[in-house]
Amino acid sequence: MKRTTLLATLIICAGIGGTVFLSTHPVAAQVVVPPYSPYPPGIILPNDLVSEIARVRREVSVIFNQAIGEWRALPPATLSGLPPTIQGSGYTTVQTLGKLLNFDENMSVFKNRACAFCHMPYAGFSGPIPSVNLTMVAYPGSYEFRAGKRTAQRYTYSPRYPVLQFNQPQGLFVGGNFWDGRSTGYLLQSADAEQAQHPPVDSQEHGLPDTACIAYRLTTAVYRPLFETVWGVGSLNITFPANTDQICSTPAGAAVFAGSATPIQLTPEDRTKANSVYNHWGQSISFFEDSPEVSPFTSKVDYALAGLATLSPDEIAGRNLFRGKGNCNSCHLDGQSTLLTPGQTDTGTFATNARPLFTCFGYSNLGLPLNPRDAILYQSTPDFFGFTANPFGFAYRDLGLGTFLRSGPGSAPNPNSTWTQYAPRMDGRQQVSTVRNVAMTPPQCPTTEAPGPYFQKEFFHNGYIKSLKQLVHFYNTRDKFPFNVTSGHCPAGTIEKVDCWPMPEVTNNMDMTVGNLNLTDAEENLIVTVMTALTDGYNPANPNVSTYPNINTFTGACSICNPANPNCSPSRQGNEFLIPTPPLPPCASGICGVAPLPTKPIP
Amino acid sequence: MNKLLLKLVITAGASVLVSGLVVAQLSPTTPKATKVRIAKGPEPEITRDYLTIIRWTTNNPGGLPEHYGVVHYGTDPKNLSQTAKSPIRLNPGHDSTVFRVRMERLKAATTYYYTVESEDAKGTSDGVKSTVKQFTTDPQGAGR
Repeated sequence: MKRTTLLATLIICAGIGGTVFLSTHPVAAQVVVPPYSPYPPGIILPNDLVSEIARVRREVSVIFNQAIGEWRALPPATLSGLPPTIQGSGYTTVQTLGKLLNFDENMSVFKNRACAFCHMPYAGFSGPIPSVNLTMVAYPGSYEFRAGKRTAQRYTYSPRYPVLQFNQPQGLFVGGNFWDGRSTGYLLQSADAEQAQHPPVDSQEHGLPDTACIAYRLTTAVYRPLFETVWGVGSLNITFPANTDQICSTPAGAAVFAGSATPIQLTPEDRTKANSVYNHWGQSISFFEDSPEVSPFTSKVDYALAGLATLSPDEIAGRNLFRGKGNCNSCHLDGQSTLLTPGQTDTGTFATNARPLFTCFGYSNLGLPLNPRDAILYQSTPDFFGFTANPFGFAYRDLGLGTFLRSGPGSAPNPNSTWTQYAPRMDGRQQVSTVRNVAMTPPQCPTTEAPGPYFQKEFFHNGYIKSLKQLVHFYNTRDKFPFNVTSGHCPAGTIEKVDCWPMPEVTNNMDMTVGNLNLTDAEENLIVTVMTALTDGYNPANPNVSTYPNINTFTGACSICNPANPNCSPSRQGNEFLIPTPPLPPCASGICGVAPLPTKPIP
Repeated sequence: MNKLLLKLVITAGASVLVSGLVVAQLSPTTPKATKVRIAKGPEPEITRDYLTIIRWTTNNPGGLPEHYGVVHYGTDPKNLSQTAKSPIRLNPGHDSTVFRVRMERLKAATTYYYTVESEDAKGTSDGVKSTVKQFTTDPQGAGR
């Protein structure tokens, strides 16, 4: 079958918020592919989704072309020594390759999604579309509008998470990547490199049906010479069958694949080559993510640690609350020595390490309410390709690490069966994120907080929280204002997220370090202040201008609201987008009925 | 030969260094307290008809970073047959530790008796247990 005959036009016609649009893609057959939109009209998908997708794709393209220029400016690679090393320019060469891979839209089924689509620099390499952050939580994948189930985690410092391990002496899981830890890093010995291998073949993201599609698409990439410079001439010399283009243009999970993870028929030798390419894909991207372009340790706190900046009185007060009354550093380790007692003086030393990551690499169930806006809850019917992402509908419960340890639905196979026994103690736990760059925004929208101009972000694994103020308030008052209701049903006279917190989605293993910290409103604000001081790109010579690479690539609009609007405050930001949670069926047996069973039933 | 040995030593040293950096970011296991005492409580923090939280404060027990507050409870003070556990993270920089345990959907308007203790993530007791206390849940539908 000739490749040219496989190219056709995909016409997507969709009405979103009253907007009808047309888009064309090269695809596998002369068919009209309708978008997948199982969502209640005008409720889940934001009205500006189509234009915002286009906007981010333009921004991705700009940075991709920038990376092409950086590649062309590299000096000729000189391999020398044993083992052979790209002398002098090895670091920049591999990082440039990783950057190109990360910003290449061709690495998705319909050639419209780069990794960076969900991870742009100006958002700390997390979700770049304010309206998505406000509504559907997960980002639309290559086959629109499939979407995942959790917020896009920040790239920054993700390579610093170790390979997932069960710390036997402590009885805790440590390391891994993703909210549920499913990227263990067991094979590549890098949780982050392995993380980069998941989205390309995730049905809800890039949607490629076979890992070999990455090698296939790289054979025609303009930067193929760079890949071969790094990973070897001939590394992409794979004999692909004639139907490869058709296969790689059909979304993962399509019924036509009958569940096969390797629909491209390769010889064993070529499959091994394709696997190597896929490993190198992950490793190259991880090295980019670990580079100063992504994880530079240039926050104000870093400069203060080096004695090159002075924290403001509010930042110092926030820091003291962070490690004192707020108890934040019990999980978000700050490298501090001990809490000062009255009469002691802060000597400014940081005893445990010089570059704290503000995480413990651990897992915790914070007791977030189920977010009824989460797009995954609606994807319970087959799409055009016969794939159903979430057959459980609203009976889906996110058990996080617990589901992964059981190799459960929506996660990944657990490569260590000795861990499965710990699943009941891990139900509901999600990864403890680094605080670094949680507050990063584009310069023209200098805050995450209303009234703005601000950049709307989303926080925690299910995006329920919409501002840093709300985030700290949740830690502070979760158990002070608990209500036996689901989101959208707070009683009259209360305000959700202010003095009403709906019931947790999963109560098993709930972390009780937090929930009633007795912080005042002003103290909450001080903690937010010190969190913003952990944003990379601080410039001691000119604190008003960020040095963070590509932070100026945002071309969208900042959010701004009228303070007269009752929801125009950090405390109530986004509340106008709350929707009532429908009556919840019990947790599906395919999730909560899998052995070893949860320690107590999950409703 | 000597160069090879030197290289091995350097490599091993670098590995230790890298591991050390990672370890420095992990929650530490700290020296255990000689004796753990309850300094405040236990007492109910909240007694809704669907959620009760028991809270108490001890000196920092030390040891493993994750501990569990444990509440043994029942409606008969001589038969505290039910158990609730909730995890917390110790803060090595704090002198004291607050334990809080959730109990959900107890019977409304009912008096419960309870004792509390704490243990580390591997189930080793901190060696402290309270006397039997009591609380009464709110009437059904009261408050929240």
